[in-house]
Amino acid sequence: MLKYIARRVAYTMMILVLISLVVYLIFDVLPMDPARLTCGKTCRPDVVEANRHRLGLDVSVWQQWWRFIVGLFKGRDYAEGAAAFHCPAPSFGYSFNRHECVSTLIARAFPVTFSLALGAFVMWLALGISLGVWAARNKGRFIDRASTTFVLVGTSLPTFISGILILLFIVVKFNLVSPIDLGKWHNPFTDPVGWFRTFIFPCLTLALAYAASYTRFTRSNVIETTAEDFIRTAKAKGLSERVIMRKHTLRAALAPIVTIAGLDFAGLLGGAIITEGIFNLPGLGRLSIRAVLQDYDLPVIVATTLLAASFVVFMNLVVDILYAFIDPRVRVA
Amino acid sequence: MSLKKMTVRRFVASGAAVALAVSGAIVSATAPANAAPSTGGTLYFFTHQEQFDHVDPQRVYVGRDIAFFNSYLYRNLVMYKPTTGSAGSSLVGDLATNTGVPSNQAKTWKFTLRPGVTWEDGSAITCADVKYGISRTFAQDVITDGPTYATTMLNIPAGKYKGPYSKEGQDLFDKAVTCSSDNRTVTFNLSRSVSDFNYAMTYPAFSPVKATKDTGDKYDLRPFASGPYKLESYVINDEMHLVRNTAWKKATDPNRNPYPDDIRVRFGVDEDLRDSIFTDDSIKNAVNLDGLKPVANKAFFENPANAGRRLNVYDPYVRYGAMNVSAGKMDCLEVRQAVFFAINTQALIDLSGGREFYGDPGDNPIKPVLGLDYAPTTGNIHDPAWKITGNPDKAKELLATAKTKCPTTYDKATNAAKGITYDLSNTATNQKASVLIKDALTLAGINVKFNFIPSGQYYSTIGDTTKQSDISAAGWGADWANASTVIPELFTKEGGANYTQNWNDPAYAAFKTKSDKALAETDRKKQAAMWKELAQYVMDQYWIIRPIFSKGQFVWNSGVGGVGYWEPQGNFLFTAMYVK
Repeated sequence: MLKYIARRVAYTMMILVLISLVVYLIFDVLPMDPARLTCGKTCRPDVVEANRHRLGLDVSVWQQWWRFIVGLFKGRDYAEGAAAFHCPAPSFGYSFNRHECVSTLIARAFPVTFSLALGAFVMWLALGISLGVWAARNKGRFIDRASTTFVLVGTSLPTFISGILILLFIVVKFNLVSPIDLGKWHNPFTDPVGWFRTFIFPCLTLALAYAASYTRFTRSNVIETTAEDFIRTAKAKGLSERVIMRKHTLRAALAPIVTIAGLDFAGLLGGAIITEGIFNLPGLGRLSIRAVLQDYDLPVIVATTLLAASFVVFMNLVVDILYAFIDPRVRVA
Repeated sequence: MSLKKMTVRRFVASGAAVALAVSGAIVSATAPANAAPSTGGTLYFFTHQEQFDHVDPQRVYVGRDIAFFNSYLYRNLVMYKPTTGSAGSSLVGDLATNTGVPSNQAKTWKFTLRPGVTWEDGSAITCADVKYGISRTFAQDVITDGPTYATTMLNIPAGKYKGPYSKEGQDLFDKAVTCSSDNRTVTFNLSRSVSDFNYAMTYPAFSPVKATKDTGDKYDLRPFASGPYKLESYVINDEMHLVRNTAWKKATDPNRNPYPDDIRVRFGVDEDLRDSIFTDDSIKNAVNLDGLKPVANKAFFENPANAGRRLNVYDPYVRYGAMNVSAGKMDCLEVRQAVFFAINTQALIDLSGGREFYGDPGDNPIKPVLGLDYAPTTGNIHDPAWKITGNPDKAKELLATAKTKCPTTYDKATNAAKGITYDLSNTATNQKASVLIKDALTLAGINVKFNFIPSGQYYSTIGDTTKQSDISAAGWGADWANASTVIPELFTKEGGANYTQNWNDPAYAAFKTKSDKALAETDRKKQAAMWKELAQYVMDQYWIIRPIFSKGQFVWNSGVGGVGYWEPQGNFLFTAMYVK
């Protein structure tokens, strides 16, 4: 198993290095010129060139990429003379739009996004799976029809609508969180109440959308698994319905859901752009979207892309391992 | 300065009456009278923006931000008098004892620092600090975005001084800016006569920086304070928190009134939430740093209950269509005129909120509020043939003349396979505006296409002479109350925002000679007459079309007192605000 993990980690590193190169190459062929875009009002040719040098874009794309790779291990120096400063390793570069080393920006934004993703993840799994199982066990009855309605509403209501509705008609209307405190980061270890107040509604917004899908997946998987031969065998052996559900049906039915959940969670760790925007959360999503659409901030784009890719690859690995525990057939295979 | 940064545009209030006459609109520049100001409390500002563009004094170039930071965080040698109305456009000494002493035909200016002025650590602010602060503007590989008047006005050959970090050419700077032996009087030696040099001193770009506290690019996050407040924290995308600067003394600063105990700016607030805070008056001690969204704005201003917490004023900007008159573009006067007469200006104004909220048709690149330098022009919107809803018949007449006089440009404008191209930033409003422009021009037989450019790249794209199309939407306002910051900037080759590419136009040489002469003129009245003549020249050449004298709206909540409009800064009079 350890050998398998080591091999997957090495493979992951290779993928990430390639992704970083691809981001640099894509950025290089884009028509916009960050040196011109950020050179200010008096954009004379000499000012543009000074700005290009400042941004580190006055060398070839290969050199830029190599500086990035070296910076990961050795850190990077910026500016000259009295204005010089250093971004320590592992350095993802420096954001001239935000005046900080990118690793500092990531370190500040990641806990926000992680809190949001984890909270939403727990909520949607709890709600989606329990409602799905309940609906499957009561197929055709009222609760099943109610869950179908929930699924329809949840999947058809985009987060930019549900988020605004929750924000304006629940949070603001009933003064549950003051707009002054909205999106403010509270350390969950020192101020768990503040943290809870900040994240409960954004998590709920995200969870509603995901829970609807998970209810549908769970319901159909449970119904499908219930019709399998090994469940009929268990029933014939005289096992109680509760034991059959817990030990046999759910194990088989949840295996594909674990895969999807892992990838969904990994995707959210890269940033939930809309929800972060509505609830004023300074997370990775807002960091990356502004870098891409407004600032053309290459170091931030590379760092957030690599981070998002790392989460996906890492969660794939976790899912594969979990799979083996959940479904014994995988281990046998 | 261009609208891309919504930079400050100076204008004197004496012209406000002229502006009102132009529009006929009722515009209030001051809030209703309040009780005596009270001290204490927290003043909140809300904005959808994720950060201030810059906080570093040498890099700040947004009008609102200059007004904000000049009121709270740092001091300049001189400043605009912190009061509403026309008196607000006069200069007063800030760190300096007076508004500057010119000599040598305004090629030399002296400013003497008040005794007892200090930094937030209690150390004295010296001439050396002023000199160092200004020198940072020259380090264009570190200090980007700010105004560059220092680089063009000081007697230093272009590009020979590289700023205090590399110190290349430091001796040239040391000759251009000198300090007295007591380190309290700074002398500026300029390359030419600049009679309004002291107006440039109102920019934080000329404010002091303590060399030992300079952190280069990172100074943008934590400048060292000389004003009544200092930065407690500033996290982009989150909050800026200003607290009292205990080293600041009222005795050395008669201009500022630090009423609130602390000031918090909340960034990245969702626009709907921001609007609801002010529509519902839900946080009493809050001020909106942005405008409201158009629908909310209209509803807010139509509700009489909000009368005490809103302002609708002429902002410092003129918005216009710049004609690229270089060869092969809009190089035919009659075609330019035809476009001007064909456009339905009323429809475009209505699209953006109507005359009440957007602005009025203008006749000049200089806004009436600039007072001394403005005079109504002849022709253009005063031409009897001009109709606010467009006059396609007149446009067709002009095109008929163009057909024989400049057939190539005529063909480009009317040929269905060719057509003229109009640059617009890619916004929802501009998408709608393009339909209105196309409809109006089609009626006159002009074929127009649109080049929608992403907002963030707009000005850098049209500023590239190889990428600019035939017509480009643009905007500008005076940096201070002198058209020297309008006419040369917009219409000479050396200007920072010349989107007309007019330097090969046959009409340019005579224009440039007059513009240079006006810049060097030290008699202000004579100079004003020259600017008026040049503005007429611009309009006669149709280098720009359909200028709009635009307006801005400001709102706040019921727990904030002392709110007024600081005309020269085009924004709130921040220093008078208090928490009720």
